[in-house]
Amino acid sequence: MIGGTFPASAAITSQMRDATGATAGDLADSDLMQRTAAGDREAFATLYHRHHAMVYRFARLMTGSDSAAEDIVQEVFLVVMRDASRYDPARSALSSYLYGVARHHTRRRLARDRQFVGFESAAADVAEPIADGDVTATLERRQTLLQLRRAIVSLPRRYREVIVLCDLQDVSYSDASTVLGCAIGTVRSRLHRARHLLTRKMGRAAGSEEDHPRLTERCA
Amino acid sequence: MTPMPWHDTDLADALDALRRDVAHVETPPHVEAAVLAAWDRAHAPHVDTRAGQVWRRMGAIAASVIVAAGLGQLGRELQRTTQASELARSSGTVLLVGEPILRGEPVRVVRMRVPASTLIAMGVRSATDGEHVDVDVIVGEDGIARAIRVGM
Repeated sequence: MIGGTFPASAAITSQMRDATGATAGDLADSDLMQRTAAGDREAFATLYHRHHAMVYRFARLMTGSDSAAEDIVQEVFLVVMRDASRYDPARSALSSYLYGVARHHTRRRLARDRQFVGFESAAADVAEPIADGDVTATLERRQTLLQLRRAIVSLPRRYREVIVLCDLQDVSYSDASTVLGCAIGTVRSRLHRARHLLTRKMGRAAGSEEDHPRLTERCA
Repeated sequence: MTPMPWHDTDLADALDALRRDVAHVETPPHVEAAVLAAWDRAHAPHVDTRAGQVWRRMGAIAASVIVAAGLGQLGRELQRTTQASELARSSGTVLLVGEPILRGEPVRVVRMRVPASTLIAMGVRSATDGEHVDVDVIVGEDGIARAIRVGM
C-alpha cells in the first residue's frame, strides 16, 4: 500500500484546458497517456478516474480481497505513471493494457499470498435494504451471490480470468485474448470449461446448503 | 450430500446478478489519494539544501578561476610568439633583448646610430656598409629595451 498524504487542493477538480479548448476529460486515452508521459497530472488523474473501477473490480474478483485489490489498483497506476511513454495504442486499447498489467500484479499477489483471502466485505456488496415483502428472496439472492463469488475464486486461475473478464466485466473475446495472450478460440474453450466447473460447484454448494439451512440472518 | 441440479441458465442468471452487483463497487477514495500522492512525490521539484548550494557555488567559482588562469597563461604565450613574428615580418632583423612586448604595452621606439662592430658582436651583419648603423631600439614602459630592429 502506498502511503503519503494528499493535499485537498490537489484533488482532481480543476478543468485545465489546452490550446484547443479541450479539457482532459474530452481527450482519448492515447492522448491522455501521452500527456501523462509528459508529466501532466491532470491527464493522469483523468485516466485514473476513467479506469480505476474496472481495475479494482477485476482485481477484487480475482483475489477475493478488498485490500489486495486496492494494492493492485495502486500498482497498476504506478506502472501507468512510470511507463506511460511505452504504451502503444496501435497494439491494444488502454483497457486491455490495464487489464494486462492488473493481471500480472494479481498473479504476483496471489503467488505471494499463496492462498486466497476470503471476502472480507462480501456482505457489504449486497447490503441493499430488505423490503418487508421479500426478505426470503433477498437473503437467498445474497447467499447465491456469496456462493458464486467463492466458487469463482476457487476456480483455477486461467478459468477464473475468463469468467471475470468475459462474464463479469463485459470484455469481448477479442480483447480478452489480447489481455490473456492467447487465441480467441482458447478464450472460448476456457470459458466453456469455466462455466461447466462453476455450474458443478454451485450445484454442490446448493446441495450443501440444503443439508445446512442457509437463511440464518434476521431482520429487525 | 446430493448435489442440486444447477443448469446453465441458473449460472447465467447468477452471473448476471453478480455482474450487476459488482458494477456498483467503487475503489475506496483513499486509493486515489495514495496514487496521486505517489504522482506528486515522483514529480516534485528537487529541493536543494543550503549547504549543498554553497558548496556547489564555491566549486563553480574555483573551477572558473582555474580555467581563467590557464587561459590567461596560454594567451600570454601566444601573444609573445605573435608579437615576435609580427616584428620579424615588418623588418629585416629583430633582436629580442629583454622581456617580450605584451599586447597593448606602450613602447617607445628610439632610433640610434651604433657602431657596426657592436652589431657584429651581437651576431648581426648590417645590410649597409659603413662604420655606423642606424637601429631602432624598442623600449618598454619600464625603460628597458625589449628589442632591436636592424636594417631599416
